[in-house]
Amino acid sequence: MSQVDVNIHVHHLTRVEGHGDIVVDVKNGEIKTCRFEVVEAPRFFEAFVRGRPYSELSHITSRICGICSVGHSTASLEATEKALGVQLTEQARLLRKLIFHGEIIDSHVLHTYYLVAPDFFGAHSVIPLVETHRDVVLRALRIKKLSGDLCAMVGGRHTHPCAMTVGGFTHTPGEKELRAMQARLIEARADMDETVALFATLPWPAFERETEYVSLSKPDEYAFIGGQIKTTDGFIYPIEEYQKVTNEWCVPFSTAKWARHNRESYMVGALARFNNNYEQLHPRAKEAAAKLGMKPLVTNPFLNSAAQVIEMVHSVEDSIRIIDELLTRGVKPEAPAPHQVKACEGVGSCDVPRGILFHHYVYDDNGICVRANCIIPTNQNWANVNADMQAFLPQILDRPQDEIRHLLEMLVRAYDPCISCSTHFLNVTFV
Amino acid sequence: MQYAIIGLGNPLRGDDGVGPHLVELLQRRGLPEGVTAIDGGTGGIGLLELLAGWERVVLVDAAEVGCAPGQFVRFTPDQARWDETQDMASLHQAGLAEVLALARALQRPLPPMVIFGVQPERLDWGEGLSPAVEAALPALADAVLAAIDEQP
Repeated sequence: MSQVDVNIHVHHLTRVEGHGDIVVDVKNGEIKTCRFEVVEAPRFFEAFVRGRPYSELSHITSRICGICSVGHSTASLEATEKALGVQLTEQARLLRKLIFHGEIIDSHVLHTYYLVAPDFFGAHSVIPLVETHRDVVLRALRIKKLSGDLCAMVGGRHTHPCAMTVGGFTHTPGEKELRAMQARLIEARADMDETVALFATLPWPAFERETEYVSLSKPDEYAFIGGQIKTTDGFIYPIEEYQKVTNEWCVPFSTAKWARHNRESYMVGALARFNNNYEQLHPRAKEAAAKLGMKPLVTNPFLNSAAQVIEMVHSVEDSIRIIDELLTRGVKPEAPAPHQVKACEGVGSCDVPRGILFHHYVYDDNGICVRANCIIPTNQNWANVNADMQAFLPQILDRPQDEIRHLLEMLVRAYDPCISCSTHFLNVTFV
Repeated sequence: MQYAIIGLGNPLRGDDGVGPHLVELLQRRGLPEGVTAIDGGTGGIGLLELLAGWERVVLVDAAEVGCAPGQFVRFTPDQARWDETQDMASLHQAGLAEVLALARALQRPLPPMVIFGVQPERLDWGEGLSPAVEAALPALADAVLAAIDEQP
């Protein structure tokens, strides 16, 4: 290894959600420090939902995040509904899937176009990109508007879906709205093709490190909501046994916790879902994967963003299919499914844009929450991010310091970390 | 004949909520025909879509304009020296300056705009406006409606 000195401190990494620092210290070719420090303030959601009635939980926890509020609402409702034994109607189930797809597209287009793409075009952010790649920016805005409108149509508004409630929805979109939305989604296929073509040309950094990939899995569809926990190391668990996988622990330099299972760390997110459930992708999404040169097992973390492109294609197609099904069945306003309050406990899980999410609640016999545990996907990724950084750094140590810094930034960004989500926990003791 | 009054800001951060509070006041008072008052919130890049399609827009936002709390200054986008954030860390952090810059860069036609910047007293966490800003709302409402009425 070359006898270099490298000193990098990226304070508040840009183009990620939330706040974190990259710290690298290399003396005479020896790596002293190489890590990502999460500095975001803790948010204490698991504490302040205690004492709140079950009907409020999804509305409160949706505030954990702005870009993944549908994901939190969904996991939260899954947990409460399982605890209470509430059965959703088929229509409600379809609508839950539809709004989930809306958020997948919304979040992924934001990440791939606004947060990742600028790195490949030599831009600091989206505004300079407008000068040189106007069509690309216009396309991103179009896709973002479409997905935002889809979420608003089903959830009542773009962010924090107020229409989602225990047992179903307080509002149902009409047939005309659904048809109009479907037409826009069909039209968006052209934008999806352009997106795949664009991301297929990008020079993704060459870096491979196999890890364990963890996601949900279902027998009948590419899993986003419910199912079982599946890992590429061959483990399957019911959702209720999530703690066998997540094993959270605190590290001194981070306000977010880490996780490990079969190996030192594991990865969640689009790439994990792709590696586990590739066979269940829509044919158009598989075509997109082929154009991007992706087939499981993909072990380059930078390609998490490419997996997101594949999922955008899948979600557009599955949304079109779901609307077909809703229209064929005939959509009609439905009151949320009835339920009885009782002392109970439930775990809900969904695979939100950034990875597998768990919400676990315990209620007393008045339906008041007495305990909550939320395991955030980004938290589960930190150990893997750090392992990747430590494996990647020696491979790039001979490059100019500025390039090293940039590549490490791109590596963290590839995970699409939602740092505010990940620093939500209860209390910390530094020993 | 479609005019919009858009109040921007976060009502959970003290006087930053002056925009949404003004919108509420105008909706209570009742608006002239063809005029809509919209709570623009903290929409970031979404503001770009909100601005589209109107004949004339009046924006109201809390702003450092070098005056006493509650006093307001009226200007057009060209008249202001904008402090744009150099590094847009995320779309959530896009403010009015960034949105106008993006619209310019995209060559998106924007309607004629007048902006009212209201000097805040406090921007820390808390609902409700400071007394000075609260007291200024009626005069602000009159000024905003007069601006809508003017010939371009």
